[in-house]
This record gives sequence, C-alpha cells and structure tokens, in this order.
Amino acid sequence: MTARSDLVLGSRREVGTVGLVAGMCGFYASALLIGSDLLTVDARAAGGESAVGILLGAVAAVFIAVAVYVAAVVIANGVDTVVAGRLRQIAVLRLLGADARSLRGAVVRGATLVAAGGAVTGVLAGTLVGDLTRSVLVGRGSLRDADYTWFPVLAVPAAGVIIVAAAAASWAGSRTVLSATPAQALLGAAVPMPQTRAVGARRRVAAFGLIGCGGLVLLGAAALGEQGGAAGFLLAAFGAMVSGTGILLGARLVVPALVALASRLLGTDPPSKVAARNAVREPGRTTRSTMGLVIGVTLVTTFAAGFAALRTAAHSWDHLTAAQAAQTDQVLRNVSVIMICVVIVSSAIAAVGFVSTMSLGVIQRTREIGLLRALGFTAGQVRTMITKESVALSATAVTFGMALGLAYGALGAQALVGVQTDGFVWGVPGLVLAGIAVAGVLLVLAASWVPSSRAVAVAPVEALRAPG
Amino acid sequence: MEAPFEAVVAFHSVSKVYGHGAGEVRALDDVTVVVPRGGFTAVMGPSGSGKSTFMNVAAGLDDVSAGEVLVAGHPLHRMDDRARTILRREQVGFVFQSFNLVPTLDVRENVLLPFELAGRRLNAEERAWVDHLISVLGLADRVDHRPGELSGGQQQRVAIARALAPRPAVVLADEPTGNLDTRSSREVLGLLRTAAREYGQTIVMVSHDPVAASYADRVLVLADGRLVGDHDAMSPQQIAELLIGFEAGVA
Repeated sequence: MTARSDLVLGSRREVGTVGLVAGMCGFYASALLIGSDLLTVDARAAGGESAVGILLGAVAAVFIAVAVYVAAVVIANGVDTVVAGRLRQIAVLRLLGADARSLRGAVVRGATLVAAGGAVTGVLAGTLVGDLTRSVLVGRGSLRDADYTWFPVLAVPAAGVIIVAAAAASWAGSRTVLSATPAQALLGAAVPMPQTRAVGARRRVAAFGLIGCGGLVLLGAAALGEQGGAAGFLLAAFGAMVSGTGILLGARLVVPALVALASRLLGTDPPSKVAARNAVREPGRTTRSTMGLVIGVTLVTTFAAGFAALRTAAHSWDHLTAAQAAQTDQVLRNVSVIMICVVIVSSAIAAVGFVSTMSLGVIQRTREIGLLRALGFTAGQVRTMITKESVALSATAVTFGMALGLAYGALGAQALVGVQTDGFVWGVPGLVLAGIAVAGVLLVLAASWVPSSRAVAVAPVEALRAPG
Repeated sequence: MEAPFEAVVAFHSVSKVYGHGAGEVRALDDVTVVVPRGGFTAVMGPSGSGKSTFMNVAAGLDDVSAGEVLVAGHPLHRMDDRARTILRREQVGFVFQSFNLVPTLDVRENVLLPFELAGRRLNAEERAWVDHLISVLGLADRVDHRPGELSGGQQQRVAIARALAPRPAVVLADEPTGNLDTRSSREVLGLLRTAAREYGQTIVMVSHDPVAASYADRVLVLADGRLVGDHDAMSPQQIAELLIGFEAGVA
C-alpha cells in the first residue's frame, strides 16, 4: 500500500525548508562551478597551466560537499520536526490500516520530491546568475572574452548528489514515524514525548577516537610546519577532517550538555527555566540545529583565522621589503575575503534551517503556550521564553564554532608557514568574529520574532483548543 | 468584601456572542449567577450549551460581549490582557480536561509554577501545605518525574495539586475527568470534593457527566447559553433525568 505523502507530511509549505535549502545548494553548486570554469579558462587563455583547473575543481567539489552535508543536516531536522508535530495524524493513519514502513516511505518520497524540485531550480538559477554576471564582466572589458561554458555539466551530478543526500536525510529524520502506534490515536490525554535514543558505545568510541587522532595529527602537522614543505599543510587538512568527523559523530554527546550549560546562564525566572528545558527537550533536534550552525561558523572562522594568522606571520618576516610586505598583506586580505564569501553559504543554509526549526517548534507548542498563558505567563514572558531558547541554541553554536575555527585556522597557518616564522603562528580575526556575533544576534531575532509574535497573537482559549 | 457571603465569581447579565448576522451564535445569553466563597459548584448542560464559554469567561480567557464579570471582586470585563493574566496567576487555579502540565517540568516544578510566576518564595507554611498536598494526592514518590512518565490519573492529580497550592480564590475545572478511566475519575472527583469541604476551596467544575456533577453541592444547568437551572446537590439519576429533559426539549 502506498500512502500519499501529504497525509503524513502535511502541506508542501511545511516542508518548504527542504526545497529552499536544496535550492540554495543547487544555486551554490552551479555558481561555484561556473566561477571555477571562468578562472580555469581565463588562466588557460592567459597561457597558464591546466593544473589550475583540476585544483579549482577539487576545491569546488569539497565546498559543494560541505554545503550538501549542511543541507542534509537541515533536511533531516526539518523532516523530524514536521513528523514530530504530526504524530497524532500518523497514529490515526496507522489506526486506519497504514503500516509504518509505507508511511515512512511516503515521507521520504515527499521530501525527496520537494528537494529535487528545489535542487533543479537552484542549479538553473545559479547558472543563469553566473552567466549573466560573466557576460556583464566580459561586456565591461574586465574579463577576457574566451570560450567559457554556458552550463556547468558537473552541476547535473551535483544536483543528483543533493537529491540523494535529501533522500538519505529524510530517511534519517523520519524515524519517529515508526514510533507512532495506532493506540495513540485513541488516547486523548497522553502527551507523547519522544524518547531519547542512547548514544551507542561504538559511536562513542569512534567519536572520541577520531577527535583524539585528528587532534594529534593536527599537532603533528603544526610541528612539521617548522620543517617546511607541503606535507605539513596536507597533514593539517587531513587532521582537521578526521577530528571534524569525530566532532560530528560525537555531537550528540556534547551539544545538549553545552546548550544546557548556556541556558543556565539565562536566568532562573519561569520563562528562562522553561526556555532552558525546551532548548534541550529533544536532544537529537537540538544537536542537529546547533551543529548546522557550528559547521558554518567553523568554516568562516577557520578561513578568517587562518588568513589572520598568515598576515600576522607575514608582518614578522624581515626578508620582505616594505612594498613586498604591503603587497603580500593586500593579497592575503583579498583571498581571505573571497574564501569567506565562498564558505559563508553553508552558514546561510544552516541559518535557514535554524529559523525554520524554531518556528515549527513553536507552532507545534501552541497548546502548551496556551496552557502557560492560562496559568499566568504574560505575553511578554512568552516572548522572552521563545527568544531565550533561541539565544541558548545559537550562542552555543557560535561560541563552539568560533573556538573550533580559531584552532583549525591557527594550526593550518602554522603548518603552512611555521618554518618562516618565529614561534607559533596564530591570529584573531576581530572584525570577522564581531561580524559573526552580530549575525548570531540577527539570527536569534529572526528565529524568535515571528514565532513569538504568532504565539502571543493566538488567544489562550484558542491555543488550548488547538489540536495537539 | 469580608462578608460571609462573599462572591468569588459573579456574572451580571453576561452575554457572549460569536460571529454576526446569520451565523451569530449566542454562547452565553444574559447569564446572571453568583458563586459564593467555599463549596463545589458544577456547571452542567448538553454540548453546545455554553459550558466552555462560561468557564473561559470566568477565567478571563475570553472577553464578554455584554455584562459584567467579577472574580474575587475584580471587574474582569474592564481589565486588559496583562491585568487579567496577573489576576489569573493570583486568584484562579485550573484543572483542564487534557494537557494540564508543562511537559518539560517535573511534578514538583509544575506544582510550584504558580508561585514562581508570581515571583515569590514559599514561606514555611506554604511549603508545608505543598508537601501536604503532594503526599495527600499520592505523588510523594513521583516528584522528580516528568508528566510523560505518569498515568492520566496521576497527571490530573498533579494538576489538582498545582491548582490548590497557591490557595486561589477559585479553582476552575473543565471536564477534569473527561479523559480518565472510571476509577481515576472517582478519585479525582473525591479529591475536589475534599478540597471544597475540608479546605474551604471554592471550586467551579464544568462537566456533562451526571456522575461527576453529583459530587458537587450545587448544580447549575445551562441550555442554549441561558441559565435554566440552579439546584442543590443531586444524585446522578436526578441529574441525568434533568439533562434528558433539556435534550428532549431541544430536539
């Protein structure tokens, strides 16, 4: 038996985030591919070597992969949130004879379809914007007129990867469908609280093993940097990848605790207390919406900190003349800005996911908020509660990401130019960190303003009557 | 206001109209009633009779279209949302049909929530009262549990503890046994009656269950938004007959 996906997933609007992030990924992939094609063709026309193309292609592939990963995390969370809010409906379908597997299949099909639409639209839009930008640049004479590609063929497999990732993510995010039993449809009073799955011992060992090994490799790379050569930097990149994977695997063990810690700083009045509990109410969801942001912030900070460290190091090199030093600084700064622009997309995808998870979560808690209002929470207190929950999550993500990024950036720079520089190479990109902090505050406002306005606009009576 | 016949809840010619024109529904139609301090009042009526509206208006959760509503001497109909919220916090306790407890707070935290919302610490006497309630309601070994870990009957007992803890002017109970099995229902109703008799707690309960209403010492009957009956304690049979009479009258 096949179930219609809209019975399980609700309106297409509820899974709109899935389409949006898939679209962002598609746009990013084709724009990045057009950009790397542009640089390659331009270099070849200038008589350069073709190795540039391969290198740029590899770099683009890595960044696209990271963006797809973040999008997958967001999609898993989006599907999980939607499904959690529709458990009663799912239980009714089960009662009427639908089996859990086919319902889960319907969720995966529905979400994948939306993601496919988004990815294709995104790829086309990215190609269009890329082509237009390039034509304008060529027209203005700022770019050589050469044989550029009009459609990046690699964007097709990229879209395929996005769709497959979306399918896998919605499969992972729809596990709760299986927990809805037909009997739940008949229970009026019980408030289903999804039970937390324990983190397996194997995963625990793998996570800490990878973090430990990766950390050691990073330190080794930093030490190797004192000897010079390319080996140190490659080793550092490898170490960062290994430890990063470990952190992602073990996030479930650490992130809820960190969020709980952050939310303890919010205060002890009832709105803060309830906000703190809500922030870690579903550890899986908390971890995912936090980790998406962590990845984004880490990437931006890593590049910013890495280039800040390089610039600090370059200042100390006395074999450069003043003019050379100024030029080096200028080049490093420009490349740093370009790299940050390239990696910031992952943060944007994570931010979209964060806002959507917060809003859906608040909508699903309409009844609970009605209860709080009936018991004496003022509208202001409800707003405070929602804002503080969002603060606890995003502050944790931003702080964690910044700390990781600063460490990765410094270790990478040390591995690269340690030999030319006295002491450990490190730098703090103050401006970028301040920018991230401001973006974090804006994110909190975006993620809490709309849902809290909606929450207090609903009269308590109606909220209490809302289907739960 | 210290007269022995103090009105805890007073409705004066209260009307509540939903919609307008042809779709107009008079959920409450010129209702005048006074609930004095102490005692257990049941509000009965067939579905659609205005019971829930009665409750929501008394709680300040809903505006009235006409008339005056006084709770503990405060004119609800002239207060803004914030003032009503604070009045609710200080003078009204709630027991709902379902979804009574904040799922992220444990039993003790749920019971203490009204105090926290009022922003005050418990004095020794209040602490003793809360402990007494928790033990009388059989929740002593459950204080650290979350609502999700309790049965329906236990959840409702926590809600009763929470409603009684701050000694509000009135406890409003909206179909408190609607989702409970027979045994838990009897238990919950017995507890409400005890609270009224032994602690002098004013309780207003909305229900359509004659057995539930038979625990009360006053039975108000609503039909089509009008107050059509005001009786002393009755047996379930008497109440059922009364209701059937109204249902037949409507049909």
